[in-house]
Amino acid sequence: MLDYQTQRRIESFLHDEAKLLDGGDFEGWLKLYEPQGIYWMPSQPGQTDPLNVASIVYEDHGILSIRVQRLLEERALVLTPMPRTTHLVSNIEAQSGEDGDYTVQAAFVCIEHQADKQRIYSGRHTYHLALADDSFRIRLKRVDLVNCDGTHVPMAIPL
Amino acid sequence: MMNGKDKATVTAPTAEDIRALVQPNRVHRRAYADPAVFELEMERIFSRLWIYVAHESQLKKSGDFVRTRLAHHEVLVTRSDDGRINVLRNRCPHRGARLCMSERGTSRLFSCPYHAWVFRPDGSLSSVPHRKSYPAEFDLNDPLNQMQRFEQIAVYRGFVFATLNPNPEPLTTHLGEMTDVIDNLVDRAPDGEIEMADSSFSMEYRGNWKLHMENANDIFHPSFVHSSSVMPARRAPANASILDQDQTREMLMANGFGYEEWEGIQLNGLAAGHTYMTNFYNKGVLSNQQTDPVIARYRAALAARLGEDKANAVLGMNRFNNIIYPNLIINAQYQQMRVVTPLGVDRSLVRIFCFRLKGAPDEMFHRSIRFLTTLGSPASMILSDDVEMLERCQQGLERDDGPWVDFSRGLGGDRAEAAGAVSGLASEMPMRVQFQAWVNYLTAEAA
Repeated sequence: MLDYQTQRRIESFLHDEAKLLDGGDFEGWLKLYEPQGIYWMPSQPGQTDPLNVASIVYEDHGILSIRVQRLLEERALVLTPMPRTTHLVSNIEAQSGEDGDYTVQAAFVCIEHQADKQRIYSGRHTYHLALADDSFRIRLKRVDLVNCDGTHVPMAIPL
Repeated sequence: MMNGKDKATVTAPTAEDIRALVQPNRVHRRAYADPAVFELEMERIFSRLWIYVAHESQLKKSGDFVRTRLAHHEVLVTRSDDGRINVLRNRCPHRGARLCMSERGTSRLFSCPYHAWVFRPDGSLSSVPHRKSYPAEFDLNDPLNQMQRFEQIAVYRGFVFATLNPNPEPLTTHLGEMTDVIDNLVDRAPDGEIEMADSSFSMEYRGNWKLHMENANDIFHPSFVHSSSVMPARRAPANASILDQDQTREMLMANGFGYEEWEGIQLNGLAAGHTYMTNFYNKGVLSNQQTDPVIARYRAALAARLGEDKANAVLGMNRFNNIIYPNLIINAQYQQMRVVTPLGVDRSLVRIFCFRLKGAPDEMFHRSIRFLTTLGSPASMILSDDVEMLERCQQGLERDDGPWVDFSRGLGGDRAEAAGAVSGLASEMPMRVQFQAWVNYLTAEAA
């Protein structure tokens, strides 16, 4: 069990992240990642292998920055009109791991509204957070959608 | 899940109606939006032509099955104890309930959860509980008490096709020279065998199935539809990612077509409705360079089996988006496959698969998996924009204002060759070829 203050700081970090995504500040969101940080959305429940099993997203900073630029500057077709989202994170459980890292589990729901469509995403987040210079950075964010192996429609905004 | 509309409520269009929908330079919106036309397509294209249903690597041992669709039916493709492949309607003949809810797997028996009729993987009825409460003449061997079988099944080098047509032409006749691309995909495996990857993607879009098949032929759109990923990929530094040897960035940039690509990519169309184009991924890890250590090891493994010349010939075939009419797309050089299944006149399912080349370095498979994610994931920076465009087309075509869709680009500039039509210059010839085949299939009276 972490001390109350660390637990609170981790919760705040996750809430701030959700706020950046809801506010469309995707560059700010990307800054939460370490330079080698990875965003991983598996395509299968319990997936452990990102190389031999396809992922919905398996990107490090270099590719994520292209994704973010696409969201910000180029008015991707799938973003006209720009979706509005509410990212909710809850049931946050943090543990300290190796090398001063923290492992965080949380449940999430995201409601996305765009023109005449409303979509709901839900699942679990797993974070590996590093604490450096008194702030957290994301080493790995894993997003396990409840319907990861289901039939999908296009997704644009990070969860 | 299946289209539940009662077919009898729709009046079938006549051959004359169908011919009137397709002119040399344009197509009527009813081809995409009229439920009666869609029903005719289901009868005369999706029930009469050979339709891909499974790959043999999914059906290695008895009891292996895949759940898929064939025309209006949901079917199980199974391997039975006698080694045969079966295509069975996924429906209990007792009360009509769907039997199997898994996408794929292995099962010795298929048991209906309602009243426990139990079927073998060949569809035969194995047992019913409390046998004596059924009438004396109730026969386990009566076909009406068994899972309905579809008998027309043909396999070409591991690709399993089926049809509801009782008298189909031979599968290889329908495939024509498209057997080349299946050969090429299989021949790329150093061990001579390919295996479907366990992971795949399914996407549903609100649009007619033909919109996707046309988009896969369309080399004019990428510069516009995909500019939102081309531009940031161009600005991004090379090799910024540690995950994929720059494959994703190269794939995004490759959609930045200019005049050179528009004029240089050769398009081919065959009378049966099949089409393909020459490749446009010519940089980075996808370009098959000798300097790439993974490719060098792979080439050596392939040459050890086929000999240097044959290996070079196999690797030299670089055709993109090989479309086997009506709904199968194969990219042999990246081991990718797509199947587009019509769910309704305005709803389609796209399933995207990839294959492992047995005997090739693991990294080759990792690249195929990365290709699958970059181009076929629901979060793909490419496909998501395509789907948005397909849905907007459907939305426009559903309204009866301005009935014609224009397909005139390149008209008159296509060359006829022995096997079919050939064109450069970003022609819309492939769509015209598809629609000519479409008219032929829809106006053919008898199967």
